[in-house]
Amino acid sequence: MTQETKLDPITVEVVRNKLDGIANEMESTLLRSSFSPIVREGLDASASLFTLEGESLAQAVAIPIHLATMIPVVKRISTEFPPSTMKEGDIYLMNDPYLGGTHLPDIALVMPIFADGRPIAFAATMTHHQDVGGMAPGSIPTNATEIYQEGLRLPPLKFRDGPDKFDETVIKILRLNSRIPDTFMGDIHAQVSACTVGAQRVAEVAKTYGRNMMTAIFADLLDRSEQMTREALTQIPEGTYRYVDFNDNDGIELDKRIRIEVAVTIKDGTFSCDFTGTNAQVRGPFNVVPSGSQAAAYYALRTITGAHIPTNGGCFRAVELNLPKGSILNPVEPAPVNSRTATIKRATGAILGALREVRPEVVGADAAGEMLALMFGGMRPNGRRYVVGELIAGGSGAGPNSDGVDVIETDATNCMNLPVESFERDAPIRINATRLRRDSGGAGRQRGGLGIYREYEVLEGEVVFTHRGERHFCAPAGAEGGESGMMARSVIHRASGEDEVIPSKLVTRLFPGDRVVIETAGGGGFGAPAERRREAIEADRANGKVSPEEARKVYGLTDR
Amino acid sequence: MPSKIEIGVDIGGTFTDVVCRTPDQPLRVMKVATTRADPSRAVLTAVNDLKETAGLSPADIARFVHGTTVATNAVLERKGPKTGLLTTEGFKDILEIGRQMRQTMYAAVLEPEVPGYLAEGAYRHEIGERVAHDGSVVRPLDEASVRRAADALAAEGVEGIAICFLFSFVNPDHERRAAEIIREAHPGIALSLSCEVDPAFREYERTVVTTFDAYIKPVIDKYLANLEAGLEQAGVPCPLQIMQSRGGIASSEIVRQRPVRLFLSGPAAGVVGAQMVGSAAGIGDLISVDIGGTSSDIALIREGKPLIRPEGYVAGYNIRVPMVDVNAIGSGGGSIAWIDPSGGLRVGPHSAGSEPGPACYARGGEEATVTDASIVLGYLDPDYFAGGTLKLQPELAFKAVEEKVAKPLGMSVEEAALGIHRVVNTQMTEGIRLVSIRQGYDPREFALLPLGGAGGIHAAALANELGINRIIVARHPGVLSATGLLSAVTEHEMSVAFNREVSALDLAELGEALKGLDARCAVLMDKEGVAPEDVEIQYFADVCYVGQSHYLEVPFTPEKGVGETLHAGFQAAHRRVFGHATEAPTAIVNVRAIHRAGGEIIIDKEEAVAVSDAAKGTRDIIVAGHEGRVNATIYDREKLAPGQTLPGPAIIEQADTTTLVPPGWNIDVLDGGTILLVREGAKA
Repeated sequence: MTQETKLDPITVEVVRNKLDGIANEMESTLLRSSFSPIVREGLDASASLFTLEGESLAQAVAIPIHLATMIPVVKRISTEFPPSTMKEGDIYLMNDPYLGGTHLPDIALVMPIFADGRPIAFAATMTHHQDVGGMAPGSIPTNATEIYQEGLRLPPLKFRDGPDKFDETVIKILRLNSRIPDTFMGDIHAQVSACTVGAQRVAEVAKTYGRNMMTAIFADLLDRSEQMTREALTQIPEGTYRYVDFNDNDGIELDKRIRIEVAVTIKDGTFSCDFTGTNAQVRGPFNVVPSGSQAAAYYALRTITGAHIPTNGGCFRAVELNLPKGSILNPVEPAPVNSRTATIKRATGAILGALREVRPEVVGADAAGEMLALMFGGMRPNGRRYVVGELIAGGSGAGPNSDGVDVIETDATNCMNLPVESFERDAPIRINATRLRRDSGGAGRQRGGLGIYREYEVLEGEVVFTHRGERHFCAPAGAEGGESGMMARSVIHRASGEDEVIPSKLVTRLFPGDRVVIETAGGGGFGAPAERRREAIEADRANGKVSPEEARKVYGLTDR
Repeated sequence: MPSKIEIGVDIGGTFTDVVCRTPDQPLRVMKVATTRADPSRAVLTAVNDLKETAGLSPADIARFVHGTTVATNAVLERKGPKTGLLTTEGFKDILEIGRQMRQTMYAAVLEPEVPGYLAEGAYRHEIGERVAHDGSVVRPLDEASVRRAADALAAEGVEGIAICFLFSFVNPDHERRAAEIIREAHPGIALSLSCEVDPAFREYERTVVTTFDAYIKPVIDKYLANLEAGLEQAGVPCPLQIMQSRGGIASSEIVRQRPVRLFLSGPAAGVVGAQMVGSAAGIGDLISVDIGGTSSDIALIREGKPLIRPEGYVAGYNIRVPMVDVNAIGSGGGSIAWIDPSGGLRVGPHSAGSEPGPACYARGGEEATVTDASIVLGYLDPDYFAGGTLKLQPELAFKAVEEKVAKPLGMSVEEAALGIHRVVNTQMTEGIRLVSIRQGYDPREFALLPLGGAGGIHAAALANELGINRIIVARHPGVLSATGLLSAVTEHEMSVAFNREVSALDLAELGEALKGLDARCAVLMDKEGVAPEDVEIQYFADVCYVGQSHYLEVPFTPEKGVGETLHAGFQAAHRRVFGHATEAPTAIVNVRAIHRAGGEIIIDKEEAVAVSDAAKGTRDIIVAGHEGRVNATIYDREKLAPGQTLPGPAIIEQADTTTLVPPGWNIDVLDGGTILLVREGAKA
């Protein structure tokens, strides 16, 4: 077949479905064969197929923060190791955030796929590894002030030369730097398996259709998604839309709010996000390298352009980013980056917030957009150490026709909470209550989702307690007259009778009888509270989501 | 000799399928329209029909087995009655907080992912009590608070109450006592206790399954009581038996007490039917594919046993109750082909369903569906669809495919139709691959068993893509669920949380736990009228690595060395599913006893009819990978005789399905009329 021959649209669609299926099979292999629970149950891993130019063809992601984060990695690797020099079976590896990675625990493996003796595409996987060294177990030290404290930095490396020659030197370095070398290498090999499955299956498909047709199909698939994305963007009124939101602090300078400012311009089928005005980089580990802001922008783009468009690198051609150098979204080395998630969540929320005036039905009011991270650690009387961590969500924003959802993960993250019956087994701490946080949803014609109320009580020993919150100082905004959601609040009630309000981020010690009460933020409301239906207000009151006082004061509910 | 009639009834959305087996006679198969308002009416109509048309007396019916979707429908339509929920003080909202994860990834305006509607806040009451993780009582039960809550809920008119206290799977005393108090004061209210419905850790999951149980209990109770009364009135002397989600049956009287085990009653019957057909053909490893209108269901059967999973999705909610591992994918015969804004061909996920249905149904559908493409390609005989009960309009199929697909893409109608099939078959292939890969199995080791009206049309294309060499087509694929009902075992299953490290396992303690489970199962088996000596008992443990929460089910016998058996069994299962295993210490989470009785493989007595040639003509069809048209022989399934071997290309027609045999595949007719399609060059 010659290049001029028109592609058969059926074969294009058949191949597209296969590529999606292959990415899913890679992901399934990755999740199944990984050793660590964070991958298997936290689903913190992703698998993709890329063109040689570094555009994604198909991706299987379990959590959105991974969306397209491998694009800069693949580009970097193919720059350092030109595909023409690659051999079948080669595998390349890297993690350094400042060279295209995300944060150090995320290690990417990239494997060239061959057709007719030459590379035609890449199979790539990225896994959040449980420990890559650094100053704290788990390699996400909240008190890091430079990247050197966060773990082992890996530049683009050739990890395997051909189908079976692993670089033993690299393996020795990896093993020596992780606190749990067996688990670590087990997870690396799961990535190798997933890449191998992807490479084999794509090579089979390429054999059926021929190398030239495959590359033509790749180009066509990317062009089609680009075309549909740009067309969807032209449906949105052209203009520049702005939004400002804040994170609480960087955990080190507690009184400094962190400003995230964005101007989203939609024009001629492009989607550009200019973060001029955003906070300078911070001392704590909340900085985000560009791949993270890209994930935020891509997430927002996919949310507003419609599910019918196949997600691939073509969609992202419409995106332009301006990330001021030296800002929290484009930090200068060696700024620490391990706790980037909170910042990515706020950047995602800000882009969506900017688009609200033109797409209120898709964006809705602001979500709490917080993922409260708690860590309890200590020692049992028998000498056994324990560490129990929790990730806790707030409420989602209300939409034009629906109330927000109570206590649910939003935007770039999607993690599970911990059952009380699992928590109490693992730590000498009792949970006294887990309720919806009444009145926390922003009032409105549609009410914002509620946050959570959870109370912990220390039963024995000394507990090292880490609290990493957001939304303690800046509320999630309402939309079109809706009120903002209630801010988060956490208090330590000491056994002595003293109360300590937690300033969003804190590391402290707890003792028997101390109680910690955490309350996460509610989502914003949509539309004026006065327009809320009486039956809805009465139901909220009966179900305990709104107190009788709030029903009267905010909604003006009087008993008939 | 007194005649012994056995009847299986499977109620689907459109049709109620009835199979009737009498000794030494071919299976009788009937389809009657489902009566939505009261599904039991169609059942009774069928019994009456059997009496009038076949002269079968209801008094001779020895067994009556039923698969039902009433439980699922009650949830889908949210038709359950007012239901209350009692929780430990401080934990009223567990049901609505859930696990905080979302299924819809790329959306900012979200929908709830928890079934809060089962018992809204106003119907949830906190009870003063608390048990610690080791079962010790931190705070005794405040009995007055139970009475107050029950009185309040009774005043609201609730029909059922779910009770779910923290750590009741370790110490059920408070739940049991609360139940006693409520029964005394309000005997008319049905109760579901979490320590009985699902005694395992994780409070949200346990609360959900217990509340679902309470919510559907009155619905199931009314429905089954109705049906029981109707059967009795019709003169049917035997007790009614119901298929449960795991693939075993139980008496109606018992399942009314544990309705949450009925969600997959219908699909489970289909999987048991597939297992039975495979076993009869000597094939134990099967992938069944039920191709419906809007979606397709995929299930794996390994070594003659359906794979079971500990939880599954029902109406979009994850419900922790064991069920056959049936996986739905969003492609089916009604999937619509469309052209996206960039001019590309797409198939699904939208479907024409059964209303209006494919264009060729002539019910107002104008979209080109997969079924319309099947007409264009010559696979379906428009005059013999569903046994001739639905006359298809081929010109409408051609028109839809031409206008919606062929013209925009600038190709012929035939090319477009073939394209639709290639795309949908690719989607189904990828779906099947993923289901088997997730379980750690290579699909090439399996035979494919199509069911549903459209299964036979796609099976060979799917097998070609998957590298599968054999396809089994049941004698009556359209009523396989109803047939499956007749060969299912009677089964009761009980489990209990049992948290012990495997290395420190005390055999006596394990024995005590199993004795408790056995006693509870035995009571149920006794109620079924099964003699103890006919009961086969199996034990399973949910095992995980210490510190991990992901467990796998491992069979064992409680004898010396059980620790080693469990450890080794877990390692093997872990290696299969996850690809590796380590020597890390393992722990038991739950233990389970399964009591089974009966069950048999039915090989239908097929009369040797091959008096005339089964070929009833030929038709030109279009198949992928072959230029132009291929002349296929059309066979009448009714006239194929066991022992016959015929070459493809062919089309086998029968009332409830059509099977496409492309070039390169051969037909073997087995005993009982089952057809085995074998790929040329593969060993049979």
